[in-house]
Amino acid sequence: MRTNRRTNRNWSTRAAGRSASKHAVLIVVSVLLGFPIFWMVLTSLKTDPQSLASPPLWWPHPFVWRNYPEMLSAVPFWRFVLNTLMYAGVTIVGVCFSSSLVAYGFSRLRWRGRDVLFQVMVSTLLIPFFATLIPLFTMYKQFHMVGWYLPLMVPTFLGSSVFSTFLLRQFFMTIPEELSDAARVDGANELTIYGRIIMPMAKPALATVILFQFIYCWNDFIGPLIYINNQVWYPLSMGLNLILGTYTTNWPWVMAAASAATAPIIILFFLTQRTFIRGIAIQGTGLKG
Amino acid sequence: MSRADVPGAAPQRRRRSPQRRAMRLGLIFVSPWIIGFLLFFAYPFFATVYYSFTNFNGVGAAHWIGFANYVSLFHDSLFKTSLFNTFYYTVIELPLSTVAALGLALLLNMNVRGRAIYRTIFYIPSIVPMVASCMIFVWLFNPATGIVNDLLTDAHLPSPDWFFSVAWSKPSFILLGLWGLGQPMVIYLAGLQGVPKEMYEAASLDGAGSWRRLRSITLPMISPVIFFNVILQLVLCISYFTQAQVIEANDIGGPGTSTWFYVQYLYEQAFVYLKLGYSSAMAFFLFVISAGIMVVLFRSSARWVYYANE
Repeated sequence: MRTNRRTNRNWSTRAAGRSASKHAVLIVVSVLLGFPIFWMVLTSLKTDPQSLASPPLWWPHPFVWRNYPEMLSAVPFWRFVLNTLMYAGVTIVGVCFSSSLVAYGFSRLRWRGRDVLFQVMVSTLLIPFFATLIPLFTMYKQFHMVGWYLPLMVPTFLGSSVFSTFLLRQFFMTIPEELSDAARVDGANELTIYGRIIMPMAKPALATVILFQFIYCWNDFIGPLIYINNQVWYPLSMGLNLILGTYTTNWPWVMAAASAATAPIIILFFLTQRTFIRGIAIQGTGLKG
Repeated sequence: MSRADVPGAAPQRRRRSPQRRAMRLGLIFVSPWIIGFLLFFAYPFFATVYYSFTNFNGVGAAHWIGFANYVSLFHDSLFKTSLFNTFYYTVIELPLSTVAALGLALLLNMNVRGRAIYRTIFYIPSIVPMVASCMIFVWLFNPATGIVNDLLTDAHLPSPDWFFSVAWSKPSFILLGLWGLGQPMVIYLAGLQGVPKEMYEAASLDGAGSWRRLRSITLPMISPVIFFNVILQLVLCISYFTQAQVIEANDIGGPGTSTWFYVQYLYEQAFVYLKLGYSSAMAFFLFVISAGIMVVLFRSSARWVYYANE
């Protein structure tokens, strides 16, 4: 081994040099991509005059923490968060319920027409949201559902989250068929197999689905913009929009709001990174052609 | 499916009934989606087509006016502007985002220490809430007080008005779009990791350099993933709305109609002016255009998408 290392010395210094240049590229890209977030947080810790200083102030001293309590009390921030959590909570239940049933039908059962219907479902992903929006809106209006979250909640109980269905189907297909067959021999019906065998095994996939749905709701702007018109019911995204429209003269506040809305999602990402990355990868590598 | 279709394999009646039962069971399981599809896709799709031939305003009855909406669309200069802006955004953003996301994935696929940390940093921008990322970018690129122009001035480079300038507002939105490519990046990365290592080793032995390996192995092997990502990004580009709406409605960018996008105009016609017939014509036009592009893409995919396991 030692001799080996000595003869390879020239090679290994070259490899070290190559590795250093790789790191240099990665670090430059990281700085470029990370800078906006760094600057958001830094601005939120400045006074208003400090935020406007030229040349820019690179490190406020001391940090101005009071932007956060001031911003939080100037707008009903917690109310926005609460609305978002409610929106997310209900739709998570809806997605887990309907997408798992549909995914079961599309993966664990064999029947004529299954694959055609599945293709139809996947192709609905390609239809722009706005192409079908207008009649939907008038329909909800007729049922007096506009103004609150029902138009955004009801569809999730009817398999509207195609990505979740797709992801669960991919996962279900990896579960050995023998498990189901054994249960069928014992006289279990499909609903029992779904509830007792498949769903408990699908916990990791369900975790991914829950995570994605949560982040979707945290970010969703178009849906609430169209259906929610009372400020009391604004979700976080529209609350942020309101803050942006009201306080553009005070950027540290705006950046404090942006940071406060971003921090939970970044923390969540750090806690669940594996679930996250795996989920996206399953979607991407599974959905071909 | 195929086994049951073999003709004359068994007496027809006995075979059919379990098959029917299987089908009924399958349909029961997928029935939530079928109901949802009929209610939230099929009905609104046909209703959009119908409304587009009427002067419906949301209350009262819709009056049939034939092709009048479509005729006015083609005389509407704002319609043309918004269509052009969306076309501009898509044509620039789609290739740039594809190259950038793939480039980031290639960087992350290098064999270096601390890959997980880099991956995290590269990914995080895409989970920043969209409204927050609009806030950040408008602030960074503020013509007078933003850090970007401060740095550009220090470097004696021209400092444009970015979101506030007619010429630079579209590029500013494109930059904003390029910041959040985490999702396609991770999908590319998964694709790259699925390319068999032996292929690279064999190519290296044959003396292929890194550019040659990228061209002849990596790109063909991940072409299905590229296709998938291009389609997804295309759908996003065609319906580009949130960022433009947030920035323009709050008067912090997008002067005049320089970044007035198609879907924004549709939204305004429908929900501000309640011209539901007119906006339905726009919606159907949007559908036709995007369906047309999809058909072309899927047709062309036979030529450049390579499926290794088929």
